[in-house]
Amino acid sequence: MKLLSKNEDETKDIGRKLGEKLKRGDVVCLYGELGSGKTTMVKGLASVFGIDERDITSASFTIIAEYDEDVPFYHIDLYRVTSEDVPELGLQEYFGGGGISVIEWAERAEGEIPETSIKVSLNYTDDNIREIEITGIEL
Amino acid sequence: MLILGIDTSCDDTSASVVENGNKIISNIVSSQNEIHQKYGGIVPELASRRHIEMIIPVVDEAIKKSGAGFNDISAIAVSKGPGLIGSLLVGVCFAKALSFAKNIPLVAINHLEGHIISIFLEARPEFPFLALVVSGGHTAFYIVDGFGIYSELGRTRDDAAGEAYDKVAKLLGFGYPGGPIIDTIAAKGNADAITFPRGLIKESFDVSFSGLKTAVFNHLKKYPESRKEDVAASFQSAVIEILINRALEGARSNKVKRIVLSGGVAANSVLRKQVRAKAFEQGIEVYLPSEHLCTDNAAMIAAAGYYHFENKEMVDFTLNPKAYLPLGSANG
Repeated sequence: MKLLSKNEDETKDIGRKLGEKLKRGDVVCLYGELGSGKTTMVKGLASVFGIDERDITSASFTIIAEYDEDVPFYHIDLYRVTSEDVPELGLQEYFGGGGISVIEWAERAEGEIPETSIKVSLNYTDDNIREIEITGIEL
Repeated sequence: MLILGIDTSCDDTSASVVENGNKIISNIVSSQNEIHQKYGGIVPELASRRHIEMIIPVVDEAIKKSGAGFNDISAIAVSKGPGLIGSLLVGVCFAKALSFAKNIPLVAINHLEGHIISIFLEARPEFPFLALVVSGGHTAFYIVDGFGIYSELGRTRDDAAGEAYDKVAKLLGFGYPGGPIIDTIAAKGNADAITFPRGLIKESFDVSFSGLKTAVFNHLKKYPESRKEDVAASFQSAVIEILINRALEGARSNKVKRIVLSGGVAANSVLRKQVRAKAFEQGIEVYLPSEHLCTDNAAMIAAAGYYHFENKEMVDFTLNPKAYLPLGSANG
């Protein structure tokens, strides 16, 4: 499914709608260049699980940010990580549990992510419009 | 009274002995920069392994250089977060073991509190003051009413300022860490060449650096021939304006007369110069720790530990580190 977003609020909204469809154990992979709106989408998504959007910031620094909500929420950001180092992160520990895992720069973890994962690609069409393609789930 | 501080929150292994919360007796920082440089950033697994190798020699050296023995240490203070979980674990587990083996009380310190308290190793700002902690992992503004009394005024909604530096350095084809590189390159550029957006969130003290990063990305895509020096200078000028604007506005609206900067980005030469100049115009005092105390170090953890130990806030061996730990939160 392809959606268009004109601004940050619309990207968050799409994230929220996607979040409402998720169930425990789901893995969401986000693809897109720097500044395409991945973290913005995570803000919307996480709000469904009771996480204040101010508490979702870039996870590039810590790679994995864990939120101990009723449904555990894992915000994973592989921006700094090279594909060779991904196996050392122990991502399977997160995927196997009862939480929701959302991965930015998921292309660096090909081979680690479950086949059943939901894939979201964010692409610039021009400065302000983003085309968002979601596969693996219907909104 | 001597406190042994231990910090392994990110990529530096550090131990320090501090007397009475304000006098550094020893401060050993083992940097991992050369390990992470080739990856363009910190690789968590490599950082943890290096901490395991370094923690004993670093603590040993801090104790030796201090001329004290473990019997002279009143308490051990260790960073409990925020940071990289694998890295934090090394420091916390080591501190617990040492506390148990030598029967020395243990206190747990929020790394961000350490940054705020670092100024007390060199100066004595009066309370209340506004503290800006700005680094590769953090960007937040606090009103500090006393030791241990922090209320968060605002923070970044997305990237930390130092992270924006790293990401823009990468876009420009420079290495890691991005802060010092851009600081140097920007000195040769025109800060007014390009007007990048200032990410100030309305009706709050929050800031944003993600839009700025995106603007640099779009600019480079449209004008690949731009002078890198000008892009770096214009980018840096936007970051600094955002930080100074918010810090001064926060101080004014809270009727606070002093601001304290800390964290790795507070070592930036242009930020240091401009914040002094702009604050002076408004009659606000600025406190800046020396550069080696802006970046991660265990002296600041020992200093903060002194005040918590005085308040008898010891922890037991159930202590666990937390990667995400806002200062002023329930466990913070």
